[in-house]
Amino acid sequence: MAVIEVHDLTKRFGALTAVDHLSFEVDAGTVVGFLGPNGAGKTTTLRMLLGLVEPTEGSATICGRPYEELPDPLHRVGAVLEASSAYPGRTARNHLRIQALAGQVPSTRVDEVLDLVGLTSAAGRRVGEFSFGMRQRLGLATALLCDPEILILDEPANGLDPEGVRWLRDLLRGLAGEGRTVLVSSHILAEVAQTVDSVVILNSGHLVVQSTLDELTTRAQDKVRIRTPMAERLQSVLAAKAATAVLVAPDRVEVTGASAEQVGLLAAEQAIPIFEITTDGVGLEEVFIQLTAVAPAKENAR
Amino acid sequence: MIRLVRIEWLKLRTMRTGFGLLATSAALTALFASLEASRAGNGKNGVAPLFTASGLGTVTTVTGWSMIFAAVLGVIVSSGEFRHYTATLTYLGTPDRRRVLVAKGMAAAGAGVIFGLVSALIATGVGLIFVAGHGYHVALGSGTLVAHIAGAVVGAALFGAMGVGIGSLLRSQLAGVIGVFVWALVIESIIGGLFTSVRPYLPYTAATTLAGIKLGGAAFGPAHGVSGGSPLPFAAAAALVLGVAAVLHVITVRTTLRRDVT
Repeated sequence: MAVIEVHDLTKRFGALTAVDHLSFEVDAGTVVGFLGPNGAGKTTTLRMLLGLVEPTEGSATICGRPYEELPDPLHRVGAVLEASSAYPGRTARNHLRIQALAGQVPSTRVDEVLDLVGLTSAAGRRVGEFSFGMRQRLGLATALLCDPEILILDEPANGLDPEGVRWLRDLLRGLAGEGRTVLVSSHILAEVAQTVDSVVILNSGHLVVQSTLDELTTRAQDKVRIRTPMAERLQSVLAAKAATAVLVAPDRVEVTGASAEQVGLLAAEQAIPIFEITTDGVGLEEVFIQLTAVAPAKENAR
Repeated sequence: MIRLVRIEWLKLRTMRTGFGLLATSAALTALFASLEASRAGNGKNGVAPLFTASGLGTVTTVTGWSMIFAAVLGVIVSSGEFRHYTATLTYLGTPDRRRVLVAKGMAAAGAGVIFGLVSALIATGVGLIFVAGHGYHVALGSGTLVAHIAGAVVGAALFGAMGVGIGSLLRSQLAGVIGVFVWALVIESIIGGLFTSVRPYLPYTAATTLAGIKLGGAAFGPAHGVSGGSPLPFAAAAALVLGVAAVLHVITVRTTLRRDVT
């Protein structure tokens, strides 16, 4: 059952179209990566989902309702939209006390979430003294304060060091293990690839693909590079076998859709000498880059 | 609504700026009340001797600063939500933005009560100390002194709420704070000095007359020494200031409050 539904969502800022007729759904209990390069329209979409930005067209609902109509919204949805959304002169504990009062949770919960994000020792320090990574952790503590069933996290790994990224990954895995629904945005697929069940990829405000991570993985094809004095001949032979062969130099061919063994055997059958043959693995990240590079880019997005 | 006001009050209590503004307001009140008291009766600045009700009243009603700084606090608590991006969290917790605005206005009014009370007690204390120092009889009755203190409290509370309207409308802390000072100390002073018939209806002037300040008494510019016109009755002056605050809130609800929080 879908708990987040985005339908034909569009946002224009004057002549600028930030989100363009975007539709996708997030099922309950799944962890979904919301991916796209910087300026793809991710943040604007999440802000429309949370009732902070008014859509120009379309709808975005959580549990079938616009965010502003949810009863006890902080208990349904926890969100991290920007790491610096805290008054710098206030201590971390006081920042959370205010949110605890807003969410009507006991102040003992403040200490629990501070411990969860590893900020107990910094609870009495002013937020203005925090590093960016510590602010990200405070943002996550704020989102988790009311123990929500749905989490919407906008680039939570930004500013975290490698240890922090690993900590975040473990935290997200733990939250997913508890059956929560998580929509986490990132401009780097690798940050969330080990955590998410599926991905929604957008570029320039348009949906590029919504698929499971497994489906995306199948798009990742190895590339075989060959050096041969009969490159044109090899290219035509490979094309006849439905492989994609590109002549990148007079003596070099790059092939996708065929393995090095298949290319080697075919060349032997056709008496084409091979001087050199190598295989480059194409990772998910390259697939992501390819997908977002080929998407339509009519107008810039936020 | 009570919970929302408690949230806003907790925000106020946990930010240093509020205490800084209160301290500044108190210090300026003490300074200007002491200056007025030390110059009273010397015949140069027009302040009557301290043994007269007029002279003592001039000193004990130096409470205009509390109203200006209460308004500045209101501007800061409302526009600060956008400066520090905390509006996002505030509206996630309470998506009904009108209720947030009203709660902020009530919390700022509560802070204004403290600003007005502290300022009035300091000004009254300075006046009584100078009177005692000269060995004069206290020319003002306790009822009058209490009425002036109550007026300062009401004026500062209403200006706190008004500041929230200004800050929410402009969303710019700098523009809001400068606007409050320029309006109260420059624009009202010029208008009040030029058009004495209009002066009682100017919001800062009306708020100061609540506290027993003479028309133009809180002005720095041309209006300070200009006599003429009668202050509005207490209820009318309070209604006028409350009305201006309410109009600012309504304009905010119909304009900037609906804007996207980006």
